[in-house]
Amino acid sequence: MPRGFFSRGHVWPAFTIALILAAISFYLFLIASNWFYLGWSDTLYFFSHPRMWQRFWLTVWTSTVSMALSLLIGIPAGYALSRFSFPCRNLFASIVDLPIVVSPAVIGAFLFGITTRFPFDLIGEHYHLYIGRNIYGVLLVQFTVTCAFCARLMKASFDMIPERFETVSRSLGASHFRTFFKLVLPMARNGIVASAIVVWARAAAEWEGLMLFVGATEGQTDILPFAVYLDWNGGMMGWVSSMTLVCVLMAVAAMAAMRLIGGKSRVW
Amino acid sequence: MSGERNPLAAIGPAAPGRRGAPGDRLLFKTFFYSFAGFLILFSAYLFLANLDQLFVTEAAVRSREPALWEENRKVLTSFAGGFWQDPYFWKSLNLTLMITLITTLLASAIGIPAAYGLSRYRIPGKAVIEVLFSSILVIPASSVALCLIVMFNYGPLWDLQQRWGFRFAHSLFPGMVIASFVLSFALGLSAWKAAFDSVNPRFEQVARSLGSSRWRAFRTVSLPMAKSGLAAGVILAWTRAMAEFSAVLFFCGTFGELPPERFSTLERALRIDQADWLSVAIWAQIEYGNVEYGFALAYILVLIGGLSVYAMHRIGAKGYIW
Repeated sequence: MPRGFFSRGHVWPAFTIALILAAISFYLFLIASNWFYLGWSDTLYFFSHPRMWQRFWLTVWTSTVSMALSLLIGIPAGYALSRFSFPCRNLFASIVDLPIVVSPAVIGAFLFGITTRFPFDLIGEHYHLYIGRNIYGVLLVQFTVTCAFCARLMKASFDMIPERFETVSRSLGASHFRTFFKLVLPMARNGIVASAIVVWARAAAEWEGLMLFVGATEGQTDILPFAVYLDWNGGMMGWVSSMTLVCVLMAVAAMAAMRLIGGKSRVW
Repeated sequence: MSGERNPLAAIGPAAPGRRGAPGDRLLFKTFFYSFAGFLILFSAYLFLANLDQLFVTEAAVRSREPALWEENRKVLTSFAGGFWQDPYFWKSLNLTLMITLITTLLASAIGIPAAYGLSRYRIPGKAVIEVLFSSILVIPASSVALCLIVMFNYGPLWDLQQRWGFRFAHSLFPGMVIASFVLSFALGLSAWKAAFDSVNPRFEQVARSLGSSRWRAFRTVSLPMAKSGLAAGVILAWTRAMAEFSAVLFFCGTFGELPPERFSTLERALRIDQADWLSVAIWAQIEYGNVEYGFALAYILVLIGGLSVYAMHRIGAKGYIW
């Protein structure tokens, strides 16, 4: 006689799976209710409006630029964090992690302070560059939040490659740099691409820092997540809902792409 | 000899010589250390350079209109806005710690079994579930918060609230718990799943073959083996709940300016009335002009976040964004 699903041995698996289904249906309902509220004809109307796509492309290019900057710093820094040992490792790792774990609104407030101080004021004066209530401010906020995040993701990607390959490569006579560029980078390629997608999505999701540090200029600094807040304050629920829909689609598409590539990106 | 005629012999001894060249290793290490050093210095500078915002300058005092401040609060001109003398600060801290504690307990009670199921059992459509859970982490928090508002304040749930006479949104107890739960659960789940993934399922199979039930195998084998990863996940979920900003701002708003009658007796007895979520309070105080006060609260959040992330590194946390 086959045992029923709720017989003795199956209660615990059934309980865990029921919890997963409850959680996932909560999140699905959360996202779907927004679309039900908006309705089909309003979706078409707002999606065909150029104001939406102007903001969308602004989000895409700013987050792409800050992803590129983060990768530039994050790949070597992640390699250093993964391979080299240094004293007070946990302390330094915690300092690197601070911008990730502290509320991004706090980061915005703190950026407010440093842009008027030593390196930034000299750079700004010399190049006649104002970092603040313009697109450079947006890029700085996104870079600050994603840079440490990128380094952590890269560290995890490099951690998954056994160090033995490098030892062998060096014992065969390759230099350190040659080993890194010809061996470590190709081996970590999947992890790096997957992490880059996560970093891009994280940069495109950043807005709390903008609230104190950048503020809004219509058509210049209102990237999608921030525009959600602005239009919410303006009471434009149609815009807010439709832009939320675009943000959700962007995030889901990025995560699905990451999964298709097959990279596993670990954070901690 | 024959070795001298072999062309490889000329390269052979040269290779270890090149490997041992003093410049290469030094340059390599310096190159990579400098990027890590930039990251550490940038982060440290970001948090240390703002320490002087805590001191009130003479110019700031003169530029402020005393009339802008409420009558019942003295002009905050002492160090860091004198935040320790202000009941608003202690009530906010109280409120934030209480709500995040509830959130973390709830998230672990649901999340640890769910993560175990997600890690061990075959579920149809598991890939879709994992993509959805991981995308919750990169959906902008403002969008998540707006979805919360639409979910609870429009449609069937709103009718339910009207009929039963209570509110999810703009309330301390269910509202703030829901707002901080949404994102902290998703992050905690990824950490707990990673913790269970790192435990070899073979041990459990052995326990089951020796006659223990699935629950007993989980409780006596997998749970103790994944203990440190689970603890790190709990810390991670708590830290994320503390860092929550936009969901609380959208879904609950601020409570600092509301009259005392708006709060229940229980809330007044717990001393969480007329208080704000800590990160929302930072924003509100800086926007209001109490810059020193806001930065003092910000440094308290930084201190809490730094301590918890240090604890997490000591324990050795692992987490996926799948």
